[in-house]
Amino acid sequence: MLSTQDKIKHLSWRGGFGLSPKEWKEIKNWSFESYVQHLFTKANRAKHLSNDYAERNREALKKMSPEERKRAIKEDRALVRTLNAEWVTRMASAEESALLEKMCLFWHGHFACVSKSAKLASKQLITIRTHALGNFRAFVQAMAKDVSMIRFLNNQQNKKSQPNENFARELMELFTIGRGHYTERDIKEAARAFTGWSSDLKGDFKFRRRQHDFENKSFMGKEGAFNGDDIINIILDRKETAVFISRKIYRFFVNETLDEKRVSAMADRFYQSDYDIADLIRYIFLSDWFYERKNVGTQIKSPVVLLAGLMRSLEVQFEDTFPVLFVEKALGQTLFIPPNVAGWPGGKNWIDNSTLMLRLNLVAYLFNAADLNFKVKEAFEAQKRNKAIRKIKAKINLNPLLNLPSGLQRQLFFEELSAFLLASKPELSLKEIAPYLDQSSEKKFRASLVMRLMSLPEYQVC
Amino acid sequence: MKRRRFLKASALASGSLMIPSFLKGYDLAGNIGNNSGRKLVIVQLSGGNDGLNTIIPFQNDIYYKNRPSLAIPANKVLRLSDELGFNPAMEALRPVFDQGQMCILNNVGYPNPDRSHFRSMDIWHTASGSKQYLQTGWIGRYLDNNCRTCDMPYHALELDDSLSLAMKGAKKSGFAMSNPKALKRTTDNRFLKLIAQKSGAHTDPLSYLYKTMIDTQSSADYLYEKSKVHRSRLSYPNTPFAKDLKQVAELLTADTATQIYYISLSGFDTHAFQQRTQTKLLQKYAEAMAAFIKDLRQNNLFDDTLIMTFSEFGRRVQQNASNGTDHGTANNLYLMSGKLRRAGFYNEAPNLLDLDKGDLKYGIDFRRVYATILERWLETDAKGIIGVGFEALKMI
Repeated sequence: MLSTQDKIKHLSWRGGFGLSPKEWKEIKNWSFESYVQHLFTKANRAKHLSNDYAERNREALKKMSPEERKRAIKEDRALVRTLNAEWVTRMASAEESALLEKMCLFWHGHFACVSKSAKLASKQLITIRTHALGNFRAFVQAMAKDVSMIRFLNNQQNKKSQPNENFARELMELFTIGRGHYTERDIKEAARAFTGWSSDLKGDFKFRRRQHDFENKSFMGKEGAFNGDDIINIILDRKETAVFISRKIYRFFVNETLDEKRVSAMADRFYQSDYDIADLIRYIFLSDWFYERKNVGTQIKSPVVLLAGLMRSLEVQFEDTFPVLFVEKALGQTLFIPPNVAGWPGGKNWIDNSTLMLRLNLVAYLFNAADLNFKVKEAFEAQKRNKAIRKIKAKINLNPLLNLPSGLQRQLFFEELSAFLLASKPELSLKEIAPYLDQSSEKKFRASLVMRLMSLPEYQVC
Repeated sequence: MKRRRFLKASALASGSLMIPSFLKGYDLAGNIGNNSGRKLVIVQLSGGNDGLNTIIPFQNDIYYKNRPSLAIPANKVLRLSDELGFNPAMEALRPVFDQGQMCILNNVGYPNPDRSHFRSMDIWHTASGSKQYLQTGWIGRYLDNNCRTCDMPYHALELDDSLSLAMKGAKKSGFAMSNPKALKRTTDNRFLKLIAQKSGAHTDPLSYLYKTMIDTQSSADYLYEKSKVHRSRLSYPNTPFAKDLKQVAELLTADTATQIYYISLSGFDTHAFQQRTQTKLLQKYAEAMAAFIKDLRQNNLFDDTLIMTFSEFGRRVQQNASNGTDHGTANNLYLMSGKLRRAGFYNEAPNLLDLDKGDLKYGIDFRRVYATILERWLETDAKGIIGVGFEALKMI
């Protein structure tokens, strides 16, 4: 079994984005049960987000000149990037609830949806935050009325005279019950129930009665004049939905390779609680099997987790939104722009030759951007000629990390630092790494060791 | 709505690299190490291109009845035969067709078609049946089977930031790169070379990270050298897709050891307001391909290059209420090369009188096209890669 410290480290990455050096110093001595409690307490106390983004009024847009319209749309897109960078900053902040942000990241990938306007993106994120640790039934019903989702999956065009099946299909295939538990006929009937679920020009949900099909539907063996909420209820009344969601949660929080015994226990609990998400997550975190060796250090960090994690460890502050957007895009996970409605596939799919090289070089780029002035120049060769990377402006505060094990001799410092930063012991010894460190002062020696440890493939997993 | 890239099944993810059951016990011995010197370029139109509005049945009343606002008027169609013609946006490719260097296959699909993008794309990528879930791609398995002596991942190269499932095998995978210079910069690093020496006893997925890192370092050096050999002087359209094709042309001209190139153009998921979007995309596609083919011809490479263009499915015959089309089934597929045995239309036009709930029925299983390419172009045994029962066609 893992030591309590290792359990806390594991939980901090799976239920969040790792710990800041200050948090680590304190929390590593707790019992892991109190740390679980702490995660949920913080989630309950999390601040509400406000949606102060202006509505992109389509009527107003129509009246603008082409140049004005272009500029307005451009500004709106920039706001989506701000929203994105702010979210990543929250994930990285020790003041915020890591668990809540991690749940939101999970659900954003689950209800994958491309949002192009800041108002709609922000609105959707607020809906996700509201339900992320709440009740899944209420969550699905809220997402079915989410304007960004309605537009993304063409429910705007789902009318009685000509139903558009896009939303109904994805609702079942990806959001709730999964393939194999419904027929093509069920999709057609469900699509009818969601006809008229639309949005107005201001970007609010609107039920268009004249486009809604009030007739009887025959869905999953039941007959009735169902509307969208009825359809969702019928789907969630089936236990297969609890199993499908439990599998997805297991893959995201526990292990890519399913253990059906655990999944089935999760699904029982989830179903019996009528889809209480917080209850399910707490159950996982308090289970012994969550801390089994096979589940530790075997997850490849997603790009956003990697970025938020190293921002947290290094107390990184970016001057603008560019670095967050650049890293997300280059590594294949831009928030609010998932690749398709199935979300990010994850796991080894994050890794190919080009994304791996950027991941390994990333910390060196940040150190260089922060002008830490090391004599490890070769690490920055790539940067000199890469315009995008040159544009990164960052501040790093290394002091908490350097004081993590204060006053220790080098070997102990190396071991303590590795225990904090890496999921497993590094293959390289301090002696082997030393020639690649800045020897000009003790502080620089230690700072460059931080950089090297965070450049190891071992840093890519949690 | 844009679905820009498609689900790559969490293939390989479990670490239990599954070998499709039909390959078990299959004798791979006779299958090693042939290189016909021929190159293959695969172009993927992501999102489900509307084939009926690309190759238009301009004599067909049913087509016009089903698409009151979307049909391309007969007088605008670029006629290729008595009944079929190009969308006007495809004009740049007309000379290629006229010169007998393009073969259009109609009604390509598979039994029990799946209308989900990712699932259908996975089916195309893995060459599986509709209810069969494979974790390796057909090109990946080609690398596994045929290329066991060839250790370099750049044998198959995808011009993208990430690698498609089609290119992932059980033991070998293709290589993803958006451009050789940028790639090279990221690997030139002494510390990374030190790490590479420590790739010993890791468990999955860490071992996978180490292996990928080491492969990348060696491939980057090679591709960078090759990319400097030849600069195309031809002018290509100013689009990312055309730039990718230009990169392919340059590598081909430099006689790079890469045999298979993979490139995508996305945005074809036209549920609403199709006309504008599709016109733009088809034009991008056709103009870039025309420049690419011209480049290949000038370097005497077109005879040894085969270009296959596909999309994961076609779209419904009837348009929807939003001036778009919903996910459909069978679709057309294009093969281009300087040396086709049979050009023009390979088979009959879609039969709009014989539909399956409003969708086209397939006439050619796409795995027969793969079998054709594997056997007749890459000269390898297709059975070990896509299984038995897929007879090769005769256009190459």
